[in-house]
Amino acid sequence: MTTLFLAVLLAFAGTAAGYGHEARDSDTRSKIIALENIWNQAAEAKDLKALNAILDEGFVYVDRDGRLLKKADVLADVLASPPVRVSSEAMIVRLHGDTAVVTGVYQIKGTERGKPFVRRDRFVDTWHHKRGTWTSIASLTTPMGTSGY
Amino acid sequence: MRTAGILFILVCAASLFASSQVESGGNASAEIRALELEWSEGQARNDNRALDLIFDNGLVYVEYGKLITKGEYLLRVRRSTPSLQPSIFFEAMTVRTVGDTAIVVGTYREASLKGGRTMVQRWRFVDTWVYKNGHWMLVAAAAAPMAR
Repeated sequence: MTTLFLAVLLAFAGTAAGYGHEARDSDTRSKIIALENIWNQAAEAKDLKALNAILDEGFVYVDRDGRLLKKADVLADVLASPPVRVSSEAMIVRLHGDTAVVTGVYQIKGTERGKPFVRRDRFVDTWHHKRGTWTSIASLTTPMGTSGY
Repeated sequence: MRTAGILFILVCAASLFASSQVESGGNASAEIRALELEWSEGQARNDNRALDLIFDNGLVYVEYGKLITKGEYLLRVRRSTPSLQPSIFFEAMTVRTVGDTAIVVGTYREASLKGGRTMVQRWRFVDTWVYKNGHWMLVAAAAAPMAR
């Protein structure tokens, strides 16, 4: 857990001055992808310290059932959930100044009522850069290719 | 889902404003709520020009779990047929501003005709707006179907 938290701190570390604009953006994108992966690992490991550093105090999350959860709810959910494997793929980071939007596909593997399951959801995460660190301020996951009916 | 291609949208404006809550940001919140409404109205009118002004060029939009770009969204709006389109009714909305970023979370009902029957689905959405060059621009929007 300590290792994960250190990874968060490293990912938060500022970009060296003197970089060109494109290099800076590329560096920022890499950091945010790293934070997304650390977020997954922290959720798997139930590492609340790391999650606490990644999620903004005002963080809001809408899950695949349309439930609205605040940061405390998410942390409680992680703590209470059975062991799962989570990973993200096809992540794209779009930068808008101090804001970054990440889209991707989130896969979760686990066991529910004794039966194994695999879910793949589309996600959209919003990150904000404040006082030298990036924190996630909002996240939504939704089932892929559903009409909802 | 605020489907691209919607031509016939009935926006319950009174309900929207009555149920909206401003969490932070004062004027910015009011401005963004107005833009959310403009978006729906622009879509109802098939007004791509209005939507073009609201949407950032880098907009990402998740529609029924699919990721689409601004260009794809506007194309769908242009090609849509009024008689086949569903209706959207906003229920509640909160706006939180963090610097030059605003997060809007809300719910809406979508009614559409399927097999001659009207189906209603509730969705919870998260929209991200960024203040750029003196305007709030929509940079991301997504919704998840609410479990019944």
